[in-house]
Amino acid sequence: MDMGKTILEVNELTTRYITRFGESVYAVDHVSLKVEEGKSLGIAGESGCGKSTLALSLMGYYFPPLHYMSGAILIDGRNISGMNPDDVRKLILGKEIAYIPQAAMNALNPTQKVIRFIEDVIQVHDYGATKRDIYERARALFEKLGLPASVLEKYPVELSGGMKQRTVIAISVLLSPKVLIADEPSSALDVTSQKMVIKMFRQLMNDGLIGSLIFITHELPLLYNVTDDIMVMYAGQIVERANAKAAVFDPLHPYSKGLMGSIIVPEEGLRNVKLAAIPGVPPNLKNPPSGCRFAERCKYVTPECRVTTVNLREIEDGRTYRCIFSENELREAYQNG
Amino acid sequence: MKGYQKYFLNKLSWFLITFVFAFLLNFILPRLMPGDPVAAIVSRVAQGMSNTSGVQAIYEQYARLFGTNRPIHEQFFIYIGNVARGDFGFSISQYPRTVFDVIRSSIMWTIALQFPAIIVGWLIGNTLGALAAYLKGGFDKILMPVSIFVSNFPAFGMAVILMVIFGVALEWFPTSGGYGFDLIPEFSWKFIRSVISHYQLPFWSIVLIAIGGQAIGMRSMAIYELNADYVKYARFMGIKDRKIIGYVFRNAMLPQITGLALSIGTMVGGALVAEIVFSYPGLGYTILNGVMGQDYPLISATTLIITIMVLSANFLIEILYGIIDPRIKAAQAD
Amino acid sequence: MKHTFRQVFRSGKFVVGFSIFVAILLIVFIYPLIVPDPPLAIIAQGTFFEPGIYVNAYDSIGASKYTLNLEGAAAKRIASKLKAEDRLAMKDWLVAYGIAEADIDIENTEQLLDLWAKNYDSKAKVAGMTNAKRNYYVRLNTSLQGLLATEAAVIAAKNVETGALEEKGKIAQSEYVNVGQVANVRFLPLGTDNFGRDVLTELVAAARVSLQIGFVAGIIATLIGLTLGLLAGYIGGRVDDIIMFFTNLFTVIPSFVMLILISFSIGQEHRGAFTVAMVIGFTSWVWTTRAVRAQVISLRNRDHVNLSKLSGHSIVYIILNDILPYIASYVVMALILQISSGILAEAGLSILGLGPRTTDVPTLGLMMNWAMIYQAHILGKWWAYFPVLITIALITFSMNLMNTGLDQVFNPALRD
Repeated sequence: MDMGKTILEVNELTTRYITRFGESVYAVDHVSLKVEEGKSLGIAGESGCGKSTLALSLMGYYFPPLHYMSGAILIDGRNISGMNPDDVRKLILGKEIAYIPQAAMNALNPTQKVIRFIEDVIQVHDYGATKRDIYERARALFEKLGLPASVLEKYPVELSGGMKQRTVIAISVLLSPKVLIADEPSSALDVTSQKMVIKMFRQLMNDGLIGSLIFITHELPLLYNVTDDIMVMYAGQIVERANAKAAVFDPLHPYSKGLMGSIIVPEEGLRNVKLAAIPGVPPNLKNPPSGCRFAERCKYVTPECRVTTVNLREIEDGRTYRCIFSENELREAYQNG
Repeated sequence: MKGYQKYFLNKLSWFLITFVFAFLLNFILPRLMPGDPVAAIVSRVAQGMSNTSGVQAIYEQYARLFGTNRPIHEQFFIYIGNVARGDFGFSISQYPRTVFDVIRSSIMWTIALQFPAIIVGWLIGNTLGALAAYLKGGFDKILMPVSIFVSNFPAFGMAVILMVIFGVALEWFPTSGGYGFDLIPEFSWKFIRSVISHYQLPFWSIVLIAIGGQAIGMRSMAIYELNADYVKYARFMGIKDRKIIGYVFRNAMLPQITGLALSIGTMVGGALVAEIVFSYPGLGYTILNGVMGQDYPLISATTLIITIMVLSANFLIEILYGIIDPRIKAAQAD
Repeated sequence: MKHTFRQVFRSGKFVVGFSIFVAILLIVFIYPLIVPDPPLAIIAQGTFFEPGIYVNAYDSIGASKYTLNLEGAAAKRIASKLKAEDRLAMKDWLVAYGIAEADIDIENTEQLLDLWAKNYDSKAKVAGMTNAKRNYYVRLNTSLQGLLATEAAVIAAKNVETGALEEKGKIAQSEYVNVGQVANVRFLPLGTDNFGRDVLTELVAAARVSLQIGFVAGIIATLIGLTLGLLAGYIGGRVDDIIMFFTNLFTVIPSFVMLILISFSIGQEHRGAFTVAMVIGFTSWVWTTRAVRAQVISLRNRDHVNLSKLSGHSIVYIILNDILPYIASYVVMALILQISSGILAEAGLSILGLGPRTTDVPTLGLMMNWAMIYQAHILGKWWAYFPVLITIALITFSMNLMNTGLDQVFNPALRD
């Protein structure tokens, strides 16, 4: 594996939600990761494991109830976590790092024409741009991405679901961001639209419209097809990171194992319940358990698991996982069922 | 424009259908009720008369006046013809004035009072509701219970309380009438000043009631919009918060316009009662006089006029709404 | 179910609304057990007696006397007859008459009265004094007679045979009666109204009748709305079209106008409280129909409903078992709103003179109407209308608070 230029580096990032009653929920807990130029990273996990919060936290722009606690986010070597929020807004968002929200279907203001929103976005970063220039820029990009220019003059309600999704993606990459974070960008779409969206991501990478991609989804086959590396999150922490193939076919952490096992054999009509395959629910992050956070639900749990703080261990070529058992012990356990 | 035309035609046909129906109801309802309204009127007019043939003559005279001696379908067409000419017959309680004359002298008071009051109440209520949703915290904690309380306060209650505080105790404004009782309507400063000071209490009592309900509606709507996905997306694309608030309030405000269309009937009802408390010379007060004087033609005509006013206001609001909200066009094009 | 209740009672708004409402209900049902008087009985001769404790004067004469030597009793007695503004007026007169201002100390009652007695002359001409003012001084002078007297009052009765007055006893200024020993004492916490009725007793009865009207109207409106909404939403097609046609129609035709027209047509003598409640119910089902229909449509194609259809259950079975339980919370909320708006509608109608006929029961609207007709608000007789307003507002406020609370529990988007 050749080491490319690191484009996004996250060190020990911790963020929390502060609830109405003043309680803290640590949804992202000391997360570190690296993404190289031209690479894509997938993030998997059950709902409530913190993967969407991680996506929000990576933007470096926080609003209640989410708050920044500690850690650093470096984009192309520049630390954005310490910057003044207004500078982040003007200099970073959209330009360095861009975001595609979970429900991209509703991501556009229903009473605004697409081009008006594009004008608003571009004028944040390029105050002098004329409407004419902006229109030309948008039209060029839309055509390059296979979207009809007529979309620009339409209201979001006039677009179909798949078209809306692709429009949102196109708007996100208007300013050629170095990092694009896509949070479940395809979960609400029909199969044809899903395929088009995936194709679009590939094109974005190939044409160099984005520097790198972070793709969040609970649909693992999709991750396997789109991303180079996969990271599994549980209870606000990273529990495993590996290249896509290894993560799907040879997971190490018992949680990843359960997650993959439940997905590799997809059953018709069980799309929404598949994650129930691992019995139990993730712990309450208001006061996370000491020791391994997965202990409550783990088949291979030992008394030691509940008291020892478990750190990520690194094995060959940057592969990491968070478990007190060694690689061999785990493989043996899996072999015996 | 195709979508909008469809929308417009749809609304227009609805307006016409409801109009016809309201008209029919106004004609049929009084005639469905037990008892003969004409007999009731005659028994009142002929009180103390012992001469049976005299009573009979009066009865026939009234029956001719109201046309109740004819078959019902004929009555209906006569009614249509009369109403079309603005002829609602004579008022019983204010004879020999015609109903048309009574209504003409009161309708402007009602329009001049209620139209601005409802609009002002709507604007203030929506602004407060939007602020409550945006600022949250203390402002919201105080404004919301107060709004719930105020909007559930009976309209006449608000009128009475304003009157007692500002009219009776502080004596800032007069407590009854549309202008000083010693004046005659004319175009003079004295008269206009009198009208304006008489206007204050009824106006604000309607405004206050309207504010509460609208503020609650706007707050829920704005909270819903503030949590919408497009807000989060716009934020992460670097759009300024102030601009996003602009998007949100526009979107939250639009459904409030239909809210206004739907609640205008209720608001007018409350406002009519407020008129009564202040003896304001509008339609509400006319209804009260009609009820007191058992004045059938007057009540019937007044309710018809109010219905038509509400229907028209409704229609205008819907038309306006269709123009400013693009979602309507899209919905019609589907 | 248990979980839902626990959640509902965790909502502060609901709990506050519920507590107020239960308190009102308790008062309405318990008060008549304590004060069983008929609510419409006319007890006072005259209008608008002030709130207070009314002690029978005749019985007080006969009651046992207790001597209490209380400091300041005389001062209080004087103060109740000689108010601060009277003292100022006396000073004004004296100054105008020619007494030096420095010689007058209005706080010193004895000195002031002494000065007054020496100088006041009802015939004296004082410059710039109006007739009304002169008459006021004459009245004041009379009321001051015997103000400083310390001797006992004499009770006399007519001798039946001679017709002459005979002394029966004396009441010294320091003698008291114990209220508990006076045979007739009536507490009127809210005074009396224009007819001379006890406002509190009437108010409690009126609240009860208004609540009944609200409940009947609310239940009628909810039943109609629920039935139509279920039919329109579940069956759809032509049935839906017809029901929605009428619903849309009555959405734009203001229900208040319908209420006026129908109530007027029914006529005063046929309008009992129950009739009024029915009329209100039959004119206010529109909102519920819309809300229920929208809910049912969103449920119609859910998996469990489809499953039930495939199992061959009848429409009635499906509606009762697979639809109703899911919209129950909405129906409860709609019912609460209908009840409170029914109470307001009755009050509005009564203000117009279209309320229930006035002879059998009081309602909150009728009480308000009477108070307005007799100008209680202009005359400052607050007890005749303000408690009524507060009662209406508390009832509707508590119900809407419950509703807002329920809405927050069942509609998570509004939670923050």
